Amino acid sequence: MAGKISIVLIEHSYLLRAGMESLLMELPEVQLTEVFDGSEKRLAEKILHLKPDFIMINPKSVRDSLNSFIRSLGNEVPLTGLIDENTPPEIRGKFKHILVITDSKYDLLNRMHKLIGTHYTKKSDSHESRPLSERETTVLKHVTQGMTNQEIAEKLFLSVHTVTTHRKNITKKLGIKTVSGLTVYALLNKVIDMREINQ
Amino acid sequence: MRIEKDMKLADVIHHDFNLIPVINRFGIQLGFGDGTIEQICKEQNVNTAFFLLIINTYHDPQYFPKKHLQSFPAGSLVAYLHNAHEYYLEQKIPEIKKLITKLTEESDEKHKDNFKLALNFFEEYERELTAHIDREETSVYPYVVELEKVIETGATPKKVLARMQSYSIADYEDEHENVEEKLYDLKNLIIKYLPSVQKDVISYKILRELFDLERDLREHARIEDMILVPKVEAMEFTIRKMS
Repeated sequence: MAGKISIVLIEHSYLLRAGMESLLMELPEVQLTEVFDGSEKRLAEKILHLKPDFIMINPKSVRDSLNSFIRSLGNEVPLTGLIDENTPPEIRGKFKHILVITDSKYDLLNRMHKLIGTHYTKKSDSHESRPLSERETTVLKHVTQGMTNQEIAEKLFLSVHTVTTHRKNITKKLGIKTVSGLTVYALLNKVIDMREINQ
Repeated sequence: MRIEKDMKLADVIHHDFNLIPVINRFGIQLGFGDGTIEQICKEQNVNTAFFLLIINTYHDPQYFPKKHLQSFPAGSLVAYLHNAHEYYLEQKIPEIKKLITKLTEESDEKHKDNFKLALNFFEEYERELTAHIDREETSVYPYVVELEKVIETGATPKKVLARMQSYSIADYEDEHENVEEKLYDLKNLIIKYLPSVQKDVISYKILRELFDLERDLREHARIEDMILVPKVEAMEFTIRKMS
């Protein structure tokens, strides 16, 4: 779904799950993609398949397997721990962010807003906010001329894989997915002119 | 919120006015008075359970219809989906096109070509959406109605069986192409790359329409995937057992 931040929740307690669901409903930019109770088989695999932006987990829901669970998730998705005052510091330390479940609604929402904010700032520090590189501009030009990845690879003496990577980066940087959308962008920014696309 | 049959329809609309075009697709228009959903559905000859199934699915992205709710006529579902298509093609798309044309007219002379690009882009989207809808209307829906007829009459024509073997609804789920991508691109073109006109008054209207259309199409696709597809799978299963 374009634009929404997707969250996966792992929480075994029904009431806390319902509470988190209703809290997240108050944040229009967020979408709760899936809820697990922690007992599912091959949980990490299932979650990675969903490609969430954030994972929220109550460490008690996976009990002893917390370490292996975190390991199998890798570092791709930031983990938010749902903890309380009694959670030992060594468990707290495993999470990138924490939410204290006994906090007031006001504090919880505040924390959530900050958390969501990190998602956007993370994006803008990375390469995605820079304009297209010279190479990417060349690839863009050829894409708008209707060339396939294979043809572009041959023309520029690159592997098809490299061309695919360039195309992915172009789409990420510009926020434009379709070839005709890219063509409009290229015309607006004088990467190409009308005569060139009719070739 | 789960919408129930003894709620007043007016209260439901106050709660979520995005449902107005949805109730229209059942033939229910504003000015419906003070009745509950059940009363109004009865007056309008609408299957109440099916009405609730659709508006709940539309209203709440987390809502997941249960198996026992599948007992409505496939014909009403097809009629609903058809009315939604009409709404997209005859109201929404022309409205947005009019706004983009207006944007072109009111822009500075030196930017006119840029807005024409956006208009062309939107027209291309319109052609794709129309083609997608045509395919559903001429190929998928008649098949669904045919399946229901087979179950009602108990006679399985060879033609239907052959079609079930060559094309089952599972394929439809796969080929359910993503018509959302172009809308997403258009939003970014307007937000990031096209010049500003008239303090953005028209652009804001266009974006509101685009976000709205995008949301409506998303719910529409969800209704197709979560209600139409399982319904048809169940019918295909019944017919296989019959023959």
